[in-house]
Amino acid sequence: MGKSKKYEYDYEQYEAGKGPDSMVRDILADPEFGEVTDVVIGSWGSAWEDGCQKILDEIADNGAGFAHVEKLFVGDMDYEECEVSWIIQGNYSRLWKALPDLKELTIKGSTDLVLGQVEHENLESLTIICGGLPASVMEEIGNAKLPNLRKLVLYIGIDNYGFDGDGDTVQNLLEKSDFPKLEYLGIEDSEIQDELAHVVLESKYMKQIHTLDLANGTLTDKGGRMLLEKLPSFPNIKMLDVHYHYMSDGMVSKLKELPVEVDAAEPNEPEEYGGEIWMNAMLTE
Amino acid sequence: MSRLILLGSPGTKRTSYFMKGAARAGADVELLDWEDFPQGLWERVPEGERAFLKIDPPQWGSCCLGELDGLVREYEGKLKELEAFGRGRELCFLNAPDGIRALLDKRRCKRRLLQAGIPVTEEVEPWEEEKDRPADDMGKYPLLGRLMETMAKRRIFQVFIKPNFGSGAAGVMALRYEPARGEMALYTCGMEETGTGRLVNTKRLRRFTDRERIGSLTERLLELDCIVERWYPKAEHEGFSYDLRAVVQDGETDFILARLSKGPVTNLHLNNHPLKARNLGLPSQVTESVEDICRRAAACYPALRSVGIDVLLERGSLRPRIIEMNGQGDLIYQDIYGENRIYTKQARMMRQWIMQNV
Repeated sequence: MGKSKKYEYDYEQYEAGKGPDSMVRDILADPEFGEVTDVVIGSWGSAWEDGCQKILDEIADNGAGFAHVEKLFVGDMDYEECEVSWIIQGNYSRLWKALPDLKELTIKGSTDLVLGQVEHENLESLTIICGGLPASVMEEIGNAKLPNLRKLVLYIGIDNYGFDGDGDTVQNLLEKSDFPKLEYLGIEDSEIQDELAHVVLESKYMKQIHTLDLANGTLTDKGGRMLLEKLPSFPNIKMLDVHYHYMSDGMVSKLKELPVEVDAAEPNEPEEYGGEIWMNAMLTE
Repeated sequence: MSRLILLGSPGTKRTSYFMKGAARAGADVELLDWEDFPQGLWERVPEGERAFLKIDPPQWGSCCLGELDGLVREYEGKLKELEAFGRGRELCFLNAPDGIRALLDKRRCKRRLLQAGIPVTEEVEPWEEEKDRPADDMGKYPLLGRLMETMAKRRIFQVFIKPNFGSGAAGVMALRYEPARGEMALYTCGMEETGTGRLVNTKRLRRFTDRERIGSLTERLLELDCIVERWYPKAEHEGFSYDLRAVVQDGETDFILARLSKGPVTNLHLNNHPLKARNLGLPSQVTESVEDICRRAAACYPALRSVGIDVLLERGSLRPRIIEMNGQGDLIYQDIYGENRIYTKQARMMRQWIMQNV
């Protein structure tokens, strides 16, 4: 069993000169690092000012040093440390070749995010958590060569924070991509969650996944009805994750009668303000 | 004759659970309603008589932040009256009124602790040149403008703004500002009341990024007497961030509660999720350092035998810093519904006094 460790700088370390330039050096100098298979990179001190490009470049330069790493999370910061939409990400193009044995990659933040030409034999899980996923990144995922990908989770987010696509962009991604081993599909955190539920339910992956994840968005009874109608034709689906939603109690009860495990925690109520109905996805920044 | 008196508000959780603790400790405590103050106190304790008094905070009705200062002034007046009253009699206090008063002023408390070398959350004082800058120089929101200049120059990108007097999440705002791109984000429970435009406290934490909205909300708060502090990323536990409320009585840490939340403002009134600190699984040296700074902080206020202390642990290093102290911060639901040890211990202190003063 590998070991998980988070590497991060607090304010004082940042003020003392630590930053993206020193992160990889500090990781490599950590005597425990040889046993750490699950590397979590948290705040690099100035995520809103200096992106993590230097960190990504140095990981790529030191591929051999990171060869034992199976899981990598870049940008694990929450509201205490940085607005998600302020985290400046980087270009991951060189990482795919440099870390051939990586199994899981999680990226938080989408500003300046570039995946490049994604080609990786062993990657099993890709998660992007952000306030708004650019269409350019979705296109890169659509073109990705990830023959072993089992889990894909994408936070779609909103236009204010980088989502410049629409339902069709997600549809294209699902149509174009080729992930023969995909088991877990998460299209989350959207303000057009009902529309995306429809897109996902019509996608080719419905026949092969065991987990359908439409969590953290504005899924309403409309989306709930689609799920009720379509899910029975996919006995392969064992788990439905719709936590953080805007469905009624009645709809949740009906979903729970389906022969799948359902996570429908965190129900939300729409707010009325200025005569309009407002619903927010979980991470809308 | 010697008496034990609780000055409080009948029917509240504070008084009823204190009275339960008193019954358990075998202390015969009389309850005096704030409504009957000061007359009721004069009648119960005529000159020359002895009494031991615990002062609970009065019920504060308003949620309008602009009225907070007035309410605090009124309360300070009552505490001064109690101080004066004590001089003519042999009056003993669990927490002396001047001690309670000293802690109402967050800025004063922070400076006292700093003098004693105790780590606190750093106060962000205005950048020297900004102090005298004419207000109209900074556009529509001059006070916020000054604060932003200070933040940029001191390279402090996130702060808490809170009324210097008063407690609770009343008016607390968490502001983040990125000077290079000029982006801002504000987390607050404060809202402008429809119609009057007054800043009122709500029970929901909201997030704003619109400059105009942030400007109008913060400006109203900054017009009050506010303290601005650096916002340290707080430690996290299972996806929640948290701070700690410790209750120190007679030099002992009697309770530590973790206040977990999904937003940067942790407060027990905000439907947050409390947890006994021992369930956090903190390394023992962290717990010891928390207890150590709490004991040292409490020792700065010898007139207070029971204090509530809010402590944060910095994310990563888990280094503790005191956020604020409260001379009446002893109401912990997880304790009263459980062992009720905080109030029972206070009642024992009172009983001990009466045994020595029969």
